[in-house]
Amino acid sequence: MKSIFKSALLSGSALLTASFLSLGSAAAQEAVFAVTAREVGAPSYNPIKATRLNSANSLIFDRLLLQDADQSFHGVLATSWESSPDGMEWTFKLRPGVKFHNGEPFNAKTIQWWVPKFAGTENAYTVSAIDKVEVVDDLTVKFIMKNPDPNLLFNLASSFMGVPEPKSYDALGDKFGVTAAVGTGAFKMESFTVGQQTVLVRNDDYKWGSDLSKNTGPAKIKRITVREIAEDSTAFLELKTGGVDMLFTVPTDFLPRLQAEKAVKVVAIPGVELVYMPINTSVEPFTDIKVREATALAVNQKEILNTLYGGVGAPAKNFLISSLLESKVDPKYDITYSPERAKKLLDEAGWTMGADGIRVKNGAPLQVKLWTQNGTEFKRLTEVIQAQLKAIGMKADITVFDASTINAQYKKKTEHQLAVRSYSWTNADIIDWFFSGKRLGYPNVSMLNDPKAEELNDTAMNKSKTWEERVANFKAYHEYVLSQFAFAPIYEPAQIFVYNSKRLKFPEAIRGTRLTSQSILDVNVAE
Amino acid sequence: MLTFILKRMLLLVPVSLAVSIVIFMIVHLVPGDPIDHIVQIGSSPEQRAELIARYGLDKPILVQYVTWLGNVLSGDLGTAIILRQPVSALIVQNMPHSLTLGGLALLFSTVVGISTGALAAVFRDTWIDRGVMTAILFGSTLPSFWLGLLMILLFAVQLEWFPVSGARTWGSLVLPVLTIGIGGTALVGRVTRAAMLDVVRKDFVLMLHAKGLSPWAIQMHHILRHALLPVVTILSLRIGWILGGAVTIEFVFARPGLGSLLINSLSQRDYPVVQGCLLMLAIAVMLGTLLGDVVQAIMDPRVRERIA
Repeated sequence: MKSIFKSALLSGSALLTASFLSLGSAAAQEAVFAVTAREVGAPSYNPIKATRLNSANSLIFDRLLLQDADQSFHGVLATSWESSPDGMEWTFKLRPGVKFHNGEPFNAKTIQWWVPKFAGTENAYTVSAIDKVEVVDDLTVKFIMKNPDPNLLFNLASSFMGVPEPKSYDALGDKFGVTAAVGTGAFKMESFTVGQQTVLVRNDDYKWGSDLSKNTGPAKIKRITVREIAEDSTAFLELKTGGVDMLFTVPTDFLPRLQAEKAVKVVAIPGVELVYMPINTSVEPFTDIKVREATALAVNQKEILNTLYGGVGAPAKNFLISSLLESKVDPKYDITYSPERAKKLLDEAGWTMGADGIRVKNGAPLQVKLWTQNGTEFKRLTEVIQAQLKAIGMKADITVFDASTINAQYKKKTEHQLAVRSYSWTNADIIDWFFSGKRLGYPNVSMLNDPKAEELNDTAMNKSKTWEERVANFKAYHEYVLSQFAFAPIYEPAQIFVYNSKRLKFPEAIRGTRLTSQSILDVNVAE
Repeated sequence: MLTFILKRMLLLVPVSLAVSIVIFMIVHLVPGDPIDHIVQIGSSPEQRAELIARYGLDKPILVQYVTWLGNVLSGDLGTAIILRQPVSALIVQNMPHSLTLGGLALLFSTVVGISTGALAAVFRDTWIDRGVMTAILFGSTLPSFWLGLLMILLFAVQLEWFPVSGARTWGSLVLPVLTIGIGGTALVGRVTRAAMLDVVRKDFVLMLHAKGLSPWAIQMHHILRHALLPVVTILSLRIGWILGGAVTIEFVFARPGLGSLLINSLSQRDYPVVQGCLLMLAIAVMLGTLLGDVVQAIMDPRVRERIA
């Protein structure tokens, strides 16, 4: 017994000592970042094969180009690019002097090796329009297209388009991105433990940052540990106690607590997410477009923004994030709160107000299913929507599912009526994803499937030759979907990240569509 | 004894087979599939169908089961659909974290639970008994998720004694071990107290008193020893729980482990990982039960006689 007490005492002392040692804040020029719920558990840093990548990926791998929040493109590994008039050839001039972390040169042959590597992967769609890659000279490549793809630049700027080093990629096989990840990025991967942390060290040779950064390299931070913390409360407490210096993403409902912390700086940048309520157009009572319109007009976006999200973000009025040109539709198509019109439409559709505040038609109450997925924010929002629908005489019964189950339920096609969900994407082709007749049930939760929509979809997706033409075609498709009231727009969250202002100095303007390498390059650690 | 152990181990074979069927069917009958989590926005329905075929999910469920079982019997638990790594490697990566956390929590709850339970039994119906039992009741009713956050707020945020989360230092183990351990302590304490009070009423205890042994010696050497049999049973059943039961705690304290691997994979319907983890946990529970039986036989001559 004595020895048990003795060893317990010794272990306790050891634990205490170790914990005290760990409390010291990160050394100068070192920083600890944390990714939270949505990014936790990315299994590798293999940009070609991965279906999920976390924010550290952009620090290891550079892309040919980056997209800014205003949708403009900026070269990183490419310095310039141009398309032939018929869109069947794209020529890219590559940046000279770029080296991978292992000293191998980056050149046109790298791109010629890289593009075919996507074949057979889940990311193959990004380069599916490219027939072959020709090396013009050491720093010039030409993409010969199967068909014009005005979306090519967007695809090339996506996070899956980080360029890995060919020799180590081929040598490591499936272990690439897990045991080692070799790119041209501003940081080299020192270690990676799935679900736990990634340790990155500065690439001292780096000098090819894009014009989205003031500092084009090397980075000012010497070493970054990117921790993965699934529970938001824990992540917040780590920030508060100095365990981490920056959280990449923060849910809006944490804002009041974060804003109360003196050392914490909250930064909101334009959002890439949209919250909406699909309406199943194939089931009663929503086969009647008047009922769909009334339902969509019952959603009070501004009230939701102010009461649930403290005014951070923006009310959504159509299906696309507001930075996209295709979101600038004719204002008559925007869907905004209009309770009186909603009530009038329901009257016209034959739904009369009952004594209990619920409308009735042919003896049947206006009672519908309202689905949502688990997560506090979703549930709170859905309850508010439920109350807003009640205000026009519609009784909505809420059911909460987990994310996998709800998708399986959607695929049954006729089980669901209304749902609250969100997407995160920065391209108008999201309309195709969620409203194409080829994907009924899920992702086309609205079950929109009419010839006019399909024709507009085909034009937008397959017949646009230039970017401008694509924008116009998608705008027309978007307007048609809006006119069918196949969903109700709700909310456009801002992207929020927070950092310890005593430890880190961020640039005033955060460029790019997300907080990635172009901004981290400019970050200083306080001495 | 050896025959007993061998017989029990042979029994594990049909049980494992039955468990494997149940695991496979449950995992596949839950709505949802992993393809939704890997299919990329922009990919076509044909590409989705290709993915389904690539992972064999288009085959009849019986064929999928037989294929999986065949692979398992040859030592291959498959490759994770989402995590893209061999399932056995994922389990090996996560198992040490679960064993460390669960083992320390079990040690804590055993030592503290038996001590407090014995204390309450010895001082039955006194303020000590009532105090201990109230504390035990309180400990067993606190939700571990909430208790974990309270621990963080007090010991990490206010007192700054331990790190908030992570698995980078030994210090980061203290709060999760305490959080899990307190729940286990309550269970072990209650069982110890009840068992000791049961043994106190036995005739042999009366005889020991009549022989003139000191009350302390009777309590510690005779009553507690007899009372430990049900405690051992409880502890052996908790071995499976040690590996997979600390899910919420791993989540709150951002720790790796088999529990969080299982839950993350379940939410994404990563079938091979879920099946592999559940199989490991089932085997751990079966081995734990076997271990409990063996320990009971060693401690209790009556059990040995029954076996013989």
